[in-house]
Amino acid sequence: MGPLGSIAVGFVALVVLGALLAPIIAPYDPTIGSVTQRYQGPSMAHLLGTDQAGRDIFSRLLWGARSSLTGPLIVVVITAVFGTTLALTSVWWGGIVDSFMSRVLDLLFAFPNLLLAMLAIAVFGPSLTTAALALSIAYIPYTARVIRSTAMRERNLPYTRSPQLQGISGVTITTRHLLPNVAPLIVTGATINFGFAMIELAALSFLGLGVQPPQADWGLMVSNGQQSLLKGYPAESVLAGLCIVLTVAALGYIGERLGGRAAAGRKA
Amino acid sequence: MLDIRGLNLAIAGEHSSRQILNNVSITVDSGEAVGLVGESGSGKSMTLRSILRTEPRNARVTGSITLDGIDVLALRGEPLRLMRARDVSMIAQNPHAVLNPVLPIRQYLVEGMHDAQGLSVRSARLRAGELLEQVGIDHVDRVLGSYPHQLSGGMLQRVVIAGAIAGRPRLMLADEPTTALDVTTQAEVMAILDDCRRELGMAMLFVTHDLDLAAAICDRINVMKDGVVVETGAPEQLRDDPQHHYTRELMDSRPAGVIWTRTAGGAE
Amino acid sequence: MMFMTRRLLALAGVLVVSSFLVFAAMYAAPGSPENFLVQGRTVSPDVLAAIREQYSLDDPFFVRFWNWLTNVLQGDFGQSLANRQEVGDLLANRLPTTLMLVLLAAIVIVVLGVGLGIGAGVRDGIVDKVVLLGSNLGFAVPTFFAALLLMSIFSVGLGWFPVFGSGTGLLDRIWHLTLPALALALPSAAVVARITRTAIREERDSEHSVMASARGVPAMLVLRRHVIRNSMLPVSTIVGVHIAGLIAGSFVVEYAFTLDGLGTLLVGAVQRKDFAVVQAIAIILVAAFGIINLLVDVLYAAIDPRVGTRRSK
Ligand SMILES: Nc1ncnc2c1ncn2[C@@H]1O[C@H](COP(=O)(O)OP(=O)(O)OP(=O)(O)O)[C@@H](O)[C@H]1O
Ligand SMILES: [Mg+2]
Repeated sequence: MGPLGSIAVGFVALVVLGALLAPIIAPYDPTIGSVTQRYQGPSMAHLLGTDQAGRDIFSRLLWGARSSLTGPLIVVVITAVFGTTLALTSVWWGGIVDSFMSRVLDLLFAFPNLLLAMLAIAVFGPSLTTAALALSIAYIPYTARVIRSTAMRERNLPYTRSPQLQGISGVTITTRHLLPNVAPLIVTGATINFGFAMIELAALSFLGLGVQPPQADWGLMVSNGQQSLLKGYPAESVLAGLCIVLTVAALGYIGERLGGRAAAGRKA
Repeated sequence: MLDIRGLNLAIAGEHSSRQILNNVSITVDSGEAVGLVGESGSGKSMTLRSILRTEPRNARVTGSITLDGIDVLALRGEPLRLMRARDVSMIAQNPHAVLNPVLPIRQYLVEGMHDAQGLSVRSARLRAGELLEQVGIDHVDRVLGSYPHQLSGGMLQRVVIAGAIAGRPRLMLADEPTTALDVTTQAEVMAILDDCRRELGMAMLFVTHDLDLAAAICDRINVMKDGVVVETGAPEQLRDDPQHHYTRELMDSRPAGVIWTRTAGGAE
Repeated sequence: MMFMTRRLLALAGVLVVSSFLVFAAMYAAPGSPENFLVQGRTVSPDVLAAIREQYSLDDPFFVRFWNWLTNVLQGDFGQSLANRQEVGDLLANRLPTTLMLVLLAAIVIVVLGVGLGIGAGVRDGIVDKVVLLGSNLGFAVPTFFAALLLMSIFSVGLGWFPVFGSGTGLLDRIWHLTLPALALALPSAAVVARITRTAIREERDSEHSVMASARGVPAMLVLRRHVIRNSMLPVSTIVGVHIAGLIAGSFVVEYAFTLDGLGTLLVGAVQRKDFAVVQAIAIILVAAFGIINLLVDVLYAAIDPRVGTRRSK
């Protein structure tokens, strides 16, 4: 994967580790601060300083990694499962099922992702779960589209046709032959969509519609730190923002190496 | 007129470089038709491209190519452009790829005569029609207004020939000009090309993998294998007394019943 | 023409179904639609009656949808529950800022994204490396983070631009919206730059470009007429997709810069559960999204003679 690739993989691994071990390695409670400790610079006590409520920024970044990673994880898992199922079913049945499915996907494509999420949040109230579920629905067509076109090609190859004639069930053929062939695509797509989901979920948290304060979340931290940043205390916003940028860039680079954006169903 | 001596061409890969042409020497005298025959991948196209200096960016060319005593490999900038515009023109294998898909035929011809050769737009437009008639095209105006995808391969190759003879070059490089065409039009296009060449007294370096075709229209033939010219001689000489076993192989592999003729454009 | 008619019909179909979804969404909420619409606000019986009237809650479901849709089509989006204003008026006030913001951002995408992509594509060496690195990082920068950085550097730090607000008058507006437009366009510009670069490089090595040079066409002309022009075909669709995508991105940037556009209105309405406003904006944005995407396809068909005009073969 090259040196840059190793750095990217290493960084992502570090972030995941930080998120997993947050309860053990975070020196402070991420939600509790003390007024006397506001806006501390970096020190031995507070590695990255404190925010406007006197909370330890390093601890908040570690805990924030959890919600910042679980949200996109929910999105890509749901998207992969449903997108693949939809695509393979419609490829297998073809005909009217396939065209109906395509219509449904077109309809979902008609909504900008964030708009769909906000509509859902308007109905069900703001939370990370609502945001992630809504975003999953918005992402399904991307995944379904790529998988459908690849699976369609596979299906028309002789080897998938012959056993069909010998009376082996469609489900078996689909899971035995089509699924393994689209699996790499699913992985690459998930890698790249993970980054997009992370940015969009962080945006929703930034708007106050995702993760709710006082919980720690990178998107929320960027927005929390906005006032401090303008007052000359950039640490919280900038560090949380950098965490997002680097994670997304690393994932994007890995995804690009694995097979590119096309696999994520993104035209661009 | 054209004198290629000890031409080497290597293409730099990621780690090593690959030798494509090895000590190639070919001469073409004024008005003469010279063949370059060899199997796919032997380096025929690369030889032609070196003469026009359109070899791939990562290719390294050494040796010497002179055109009427002028060192072609040392040419760059305006002198190189003028050489391409006036002295040497090229007909490539696949006319669909040669013409810009989004420009109409008229612009293809006008571009060559106006932008490259310096004719006024008015005379270039007039000349375009005459040229098309010269290569045996009937509905000249309709063809001039068409886009490449609207015309057949044979028709397009005639357009390319028209463009190539527009500047009355002294040397014509023809790179398998009929291979991409269907069999019925191959002979026709070949005849037109040969007629034009004789009429204008142009020299031609004719590339093909078809020894019979080369024999039919060339005064001399070079046989190339793996980037090396293994044998040079008159068609009869190659037929009656091939020196290199590869030449013999080429002759044996040709379809049975083909007669070596030497009439103008006598393919088939 | 067939192509246009088909696309328009498809768009109309999608709009009807998606407006149905937007309408029906509130019935998915727990509790009665009345309770949902009122959201615990204490309202007078008059207002309650108005709400029942606005959503024709006394009629069967499809009649409600039909009434609502016909009203919407006549530009009547009902009243905002939060401040009892006509939603249509609210939108009209907010629209110019959003339009202007999206327009400026689109310009940034074209100028910066396509421009840098062309620069990196035709030139090897340092320009190329810098653009490539920039676009690899740039696409990962969330718009809201870019907004904050630009604001703190250029507004608070250097004082070159106003911090908040949308300004009045054309020039003042542009001045107020420059940083927001940059923040909004940044990730897209990064992606567009990279795709443009790749397209240019492919086109540079394409046979028709190489052959044009081989025919003695001057290098500048080959670049303009063959390389750049042809690479703009794939790039134009990508640019279109990204401009359509600005619609959703604009909410976030408007919110970050507290601009008085549709986006902040939407965010506020979602936070306050002012559903009439949410519905109206959602429908308008879906329509705008669809129309931009349609325009892109039409434009593409117009610039590429191979699309839709096949006569003979
Ligand atoms: N752009 C390139 N980069 C690297 N290698 C190349 C490139 N173009 C051609 N080659 C290699 O150079 C060798 C010679 O290619 P060339 O096109 O000259 O063969 P040819 O004799 O014209 O064959 P054909 O009959 O198929 O046209 C081939 O092995 C080919 O793989
Ligand atoms: Mg060749």
